[in-house]
Amino acid sequence: MAGRVVRQRKRNCLPGDLDLVADENTVLIQRTLRSGQTVHYRGHVVILGDVNPGAEIGASGNVVVVGALRGMVHAGMEGDQSAFVLALSLQPIQLRVADHITRPPDGETAQADCPEIARIKDGVVTIEAYWPGGDRQGK
Amino acid sequence: MGEVLVVTSGKGGVGKTTTTANLGTGLANQGHKVVLVDTDIGLRNLDVVLGLENRIVYDITDVTGGHCRLRQALIRDKRLEGLHLLPAAQTKDKTAVSPEEMKTLCEELENEFDYVIIDCPAGIEQGFRNAIAGAHRAIVVTTPEVSAVRDADRIIGLLEAAELHAPRLIINRIRPRMVRQGDMMSIEDIIDILAVDLLGVVPEDEQVVISTNRGEAVVMDPHSRSGQAYRNIVQRLLGKTLPIMDLEESSGFFGRLRRMMGLK
Repeated sequence: MAGRVVRQRKRNCLPGDLDLVADENTVLIQRTLRSGQTVHYRGHVVILGDVNPGAEIGASGNVVVVGALRGMVHAGMEGDQSAFVLALSLQPIQLRVADHITRPPDGETAQADCPEIARIKDGVVTIEAYWPGGDRQGK
Repeated sequence: MGEVLVVTSGKGGVGKTTTTANLGTGLANQGHKVVLVDTDIGLRNLDVVLGLENRIVYDITDVTGGHCRLRQALIRDKRLEGLHLLPAAQTKDKTAVSPEEMKTLCEELENEFDYVIIDCPAGIEQGFRNAIAGAHRAIVVTTPEVSAVRDADRIIGLLEAAELHAPRLIINRIRPRMVRQGDMMSIEDIIDILAVDLLGVVPEDEQVVISTNRGEAVVMDPHSRSGQAYRNIVQRLLGKTLPIMDLEESSGFFGRLRRMMGLK
């Protein structure tokens, strides 16, 4: 049955204009970042893998790590206060959002066994459990 | 055509030179022709660890600089006929050799030997770049400490960038008691971060210090646990599949009794 043309069905696309809900300028990296490796990008960064201690990510947008984030991460590098960092396992050495710099508390660090999202809420970097549901987070 | 292996780590003092000496001795003891190359120019140690420091006339910089033939610089081991050493220079530094010269040298060596094992210096600069230039595969050595694992991760990244894929890992100086008590990283913790295949695990062993001081490789000592670990690693290099040895420090009746009672 070669040669049959399958037409795209319009009803599978998002309603309305795709531009309103989709963000461009996202880079997808499909491997683990090792110590000493850095990614700096003017946009969003998605990593399919781990970010090992000693690796660094800098994004003007958001950062999503589908793995363990154990390195240094800076979301909203150019000052975007609404930027966030999301990871399956959030254990960064240092976490920065816009102009806020934070680190894990000294002493015993209890590891959460769920994905977590870090962003600025009421002027402070807050880390919460991430539940699937898009923009219905922590309301 | 021989295989060229580089033994590297990033961090200093984790056991690259000891591993190079023991793997080379172990492979030669199994009948293979092996040459060990010391690329730590300026801080040479491989000759001391093998007890051959008195026999050095020419070194690697003499060979690459054309002052002597390769055969003149190679030193045969005291005990094993198939084992040879190409020593480093002590009075120069790592800029004395270039990666291109190392590549040419390795190509010459692999024609004559079954295994060429390169002892890489610590660091990520010229010495490291020299050592990996002619290698086919890499062996990364680490100890179960955060700083060593951090450096090993960096090195693995650099090896992959240099097209030396699938490096294999040796975890050295592990103390099972401390791992059990949660005071030391476990094998699983380390593999979780480094994500490379494990070639072997060597337990902490005082016998290594004693043997090094005597200029002997511990792999030849039938009673030593670290020697047994190195013998197993040699077998895995030769293609055999062996389980990781039981690392517990004291086997035997009283050892097991004490562990059952929660002591040691």
